[in-house]
Amino acid sequence: MMEKTTDPTKLRHWEGKIEAYWVYTSGKAGDYFFKRLKEEGKFTAAKCRKCGKVYFPPRIYCERDFEETEFIDVSGEGEVRSFTIARLDPYERELPKPQIYALIHIYGTDGSLIHLLGEVEPENVKIGMKVRPVLKPKEEREGRITDILYFKPA
Amino acid sequence: MMASSAPSSAPRAVKKMDWLRACPPYAPGTYVREEDIRGEKVTFIEDRPDLRYSWTAGQAISRFLNGLKEGKIYGVKCNKCRRIMVPPRVFCELCYKPIDEWVELKDTGTVLTFSISYVGPDAEPLPEPVIPAVIEVDGASPGMGILHILGEVKPEDVYIGMRVKAVWKDEKEREGAITDIKYWKPLEMRR
Amino acid sequence: MEKISGLKFHKKRNVAIVGAGMTLWRRRLLETGRELSYLAVKQALEEAGLTLDDVEAVVMGSAPDAFDGVHIKGDYLLDGAGGSDRPYVRVFVGGGTAVFAPIAGYWHVASGLFDVVLVVCEEKMSSVHPHAQTAFRNIWDPILERPLKPNLTWIFAMEMRRYMEVNKVKHEDIALVAVKNKKNALDHPCAQLPGRITVEDVLKSEPIALPVRRLDISPPSDGAAALVMVAEHLARHLTDEPVWVTGVGWCLDTTWWTNRDLYFPRYVAEAARMAYKMAHITDPRKQIDVVEPYDPFDYKELHHLEGLGLAKKGEAPILTREGVTERDGDLPVCPSGGLLGVGNPISAAMGVKACEIYWQLAYRAGKRQVKKEVTTGLCQAWGDLMQIGTVMIMSNKRP
Repeated sequence: MMEKTTDPTKLRHWEGKIEAYWVYTSGKAGDYFFKRLKEEGKFTAAKCRKCGKVYFPPRIYCERDFEETEFIDVSGEGEVRSFTIARLDPYERELPKPQIYALIHIYGTDGSLIHLLGEVEPENVKIGMKVRPVLKPKEEREGRITDILYFKPA
Repeated sequence: MMASSAPSSAPRAVKKMDWLRACPPYAPGTYVREEDIRGEKVTFIEDRPDLRYSWTAGQAISRFLNGLKEGKIYGVKCNKCRRIMVPPRVFCELCYKPIDEWVELKDTGTVLTFSISYVGPDAEPLPEPVIPAVIEVDGASPGMGILHILGEVKPEDVYIGMRVKAVWKDEKEREGAITDIKYWKPLEMRR
Repeated sequence: MEKISGLKFHKKRNVAIVGAGMTLWRRRLLETGRELSYLAVKQALEEAGLTLDDVEAVVMGSAPDAFDGVHIKGDYLLDGAGGSDRPYVRVFVGGGTAVFAPIAGYWHVASGLFDVVLVVCEEKMSSVHPHAQTAFRNIWDPILERPLKPNLTWIFAMEMRRYMEVNKVKHEDIALVAVKNKKNALDHPCAQLPGRITVEDVLKSEPIALPVRRLDISPPSDGAAALVMVAEHLARHLTDEPVWVTGVGWCLDTTWWTNRDLYFPRYVAEAARMAYKMAHITDPRKQIDVVEPYDPFDYKELHHLEGLGLAKKGEAPILTREGVTERDGDLPVCPSGGLLGVGNPISAAMGVKACEIYWQLAYRAGKRQVKKEVTTGLCQAWGDLMQIGTVMIMSNKRP
């Protein structure tokens, strides 16, 4: 039977990285949503033809019935369902200013969106608070979720 | 869950096989090319995460790597099936019992199989081909090979069964890694 | 290796396949993984004549998270695969998932736990950059192999060379497989690389890792495929032509691949032995009518035919040369065009393996239908670091 090594300096580690990066296409529904957001500044949701459930962000199928959906317009306004205040970044360093992440229920849909809240102090955020999206100026929009800068109190 | 009789959508009057003769009947999906993404015809998101790892070598490979630093190749022996194995491990996977002793192996071997590669790890083309090979190490049981690179030989001269010897880095440059062996060079050439 | 002989194969009931579907296969598709799963499932449910409400459980097969770039990919794909609010499980054995996912679906139904199970496989290899090979960099041992900067094609090249050396096979004979499969793929609506090529085209194509050249390899693809499996008593209601699953087998070999002799896939032979025993097949060459072995490389088709016992060691290239493996031959192999012609989205390869055998046995393969009368078909997949063999045998005769 082999005796085990107990001296920690004899045990070795190997360091390495996983080097890969990813380019994700938005999909059929996502492409339509982001193109509309970029060009016209409008929000799209998807309504199931059978059960009427409205999905936001939109999808091409209803996950309950597997029926097709149709795209409808929504204003993008909503209310805060829940929120949290982040004071540290992913590497545990202090952020210059605390960031408020909120789960925002979008009116006219059965879905919610996670995004930042802005133009409001952390202590003034309440659940149920009505909010409105603030978009980047048209020239700066890229067709990504960051085209919405943040949501501000309506 | 449904009851184990007819499915909830009742039995068909028309059997499905009548209208579908060739399958798949259609091929859904939208083809896009790399240029469509780079040219921003479709929306996309790029993400470059920073994934760093520190893998422990474990009991057996730590000792193997320390051996490489000294300029030696170690294998292990199982007394039940009498195999001498390399790369070493703490238990014999066939007998499922701990191995019994460490054995020092030679740094010569035989080429079991090889390839001449023109691509690098990301499928990028290489200026000069690389010759990876599985080399059966002398002193280990037949068929026990390790993966390494061949050097000091032209691609067209390599053959299965060729005898090779390890070329080591200088002692001060060795760090206890598989790359302490720079490559394996031929001992003799086939006439 | 008689370890598997002791298996008893108690199964509660028989399982039939009643529907299948697949999406277009291309290098890059616009749809997200969920949308692809949805499109394949929709087609399968249409053929079976069922709706999502009838499905009781879902099995998803999907290969490394690193391709799509979303961790715990199985859960991410759930809603597109119809898994919301029902028992859902993801299985993954690398490329072997193409036949392992239907095997896992088989367990669900044969055990008596569920009556209707949906099996879905999806893959999106285009998300990872700079190349799909980058995700494969992590299959190697980080300490003993990665510092040498290997590319995955090295292993296949070394296996091919060993096969060519031990069996004394020339590259020209192996190239005939690529010619045959790409020609067969001309009749497949989802095919990515169909075409008429010659042996010279293969031998002159760009060298990747000799002896493997560009036309010897199947391309990375995006795609999805789905199957519907039901219990015996329901199969009668749904269709006149259910295809029964008569045998399954799977077996893995060690990760110490440098300690194995690569010229013969022992793990495929073991998996096939398990499946043959279950299906009561004693003479595979005579009793199997059509076969879809896994062919990511042209030599793999020959390698696997020998592993499955359908050809003696070294005999597979002779069968190809004599035309026995063409669609109108005595033992058609890869009538769909296989992975070489249609594409290789790792786990979604189920579309040209399990789904194709189902369509052949149900006489619904259209222009790809083989000339002879078919009763029993076999599909096989292989994956990981040349470790796993998964085999499924189907029949259109009532068991």
